[in-house]
Amino acid sequence: MQDALIRKLESFQELTNEDRGALNSLVPRFRHVGPRTDLIREGEPPEDIHLILDGYACRYKVLPDGQRQIMAYLVPGDFCDLNVFILDQMDHTIGTVTACQVVDIPRHAIEAVMVDRPHVTQALWRCALVDEAILREWLVNIGGRPANQRIGHLMCELLLRLEAVGGVRNNSFSFPFTQADIADTMGLSNVHVNRTIQELRAMGLIALKQRVLTILDVGRLKAYCGFNPNYLHLRNSRWSTGRSVSWLSSGSGG
Amino acid sequence: MIKQGNVETLVVLQPIAVDTGSSDRTGMLVMANGMLVAVLIRLDAPEHENPQGWFVEAAFGRLQGLRVPAFDTLEDATRWLRQRLKP
Repeated sequence: MQDALIRKLESFQELTNEDRGALNSLVPRFRHVGPRTDLIREGEPPEDIHLILDGYACRYKVLPDGQRQIMAYLVPGDFCDLNVFILDQMDHTIGTVTACQVVDIPRHAIEAVMVDRPHVTQALWRCALVDEAILREWLVNIGGRPANQRIGHLMCELLLRLEAVGGVRNNSFSFPFTQADIADTMGLSNVHVNRTIQELRAMGLIALKQRVLTILDVGRLKAYCGFNPNYLHLRNSRWSTGRSVSWLSSGSGG
Repeated sequence: MIKQGNVETLVVLQPIAVDTGSSDRTGMLVMANGMLVAVLIRLDAPEHENPQGWFVEAAFGRLQGLRVPAFDTLEDATRWLRQRLKP
């Protein structure tokens, strides 16, 4: 479970044993947080950095009329707020979807690792940049794709992100989101979410049973929603080859 | 036609079949003061959270963009729409 972070960072770039040791020292203990519980709320000052080791969480905001908008799903290995600690207060809330194992990393520990381990620093920057890239893709998704492709796209993305941290078996993974969660993520109504999932089922692209999603035909689902995994910047994904960056491996962190 | 008026806004429902890409196809055009303001759909597909409820499938003008949960009955849906359309 603790290796979710290392697996994720290694999906971006190679790490040395010393790098792995430094990362392991960041996560000496984790705590259990129940489902549907806020880790930090909008307006609160960010202190520790939260890392999800197990379970799913999300970023969201609530509009004055009570409408919730989810802006990100956080899966094992994801930092909730890698850079937010530089800001004075949270501009959104982070809450769990399922029960989670969460690590609270003091900011000075992250700062120390960033000084000592250049490879780790690069990998953490990549995390932050990829988070931004995902947000850009979600913007395109909500603004540019019809409902059925939107949800299919989210499913493809989760498949790859979870695969990178060992959360996928036989194209199946935990999908604990309610119709309301997906509706609040995609800017759709519950009814449209329901119809879309039925449509994806009827097309033989997915199966969803007891909150486990199986992508029955990855290639077809990917083609159906025009999924291009480039924005995830994964090194070892089955859909992308990545690129070797010489200036990263020639750094002094080895 | 079913007339459900009040002093402020005359709301008229007119049955219509709608292609929603699903088995939900029984609909009502909702007209207020002679103008189309919304399309209600009965949720006939068994997978819905509240089957047989009435859902605002599309809405126009002042109602546009509102995301509302499905209503249990057509009367509930109409009452809500009429309230929203009060001048």
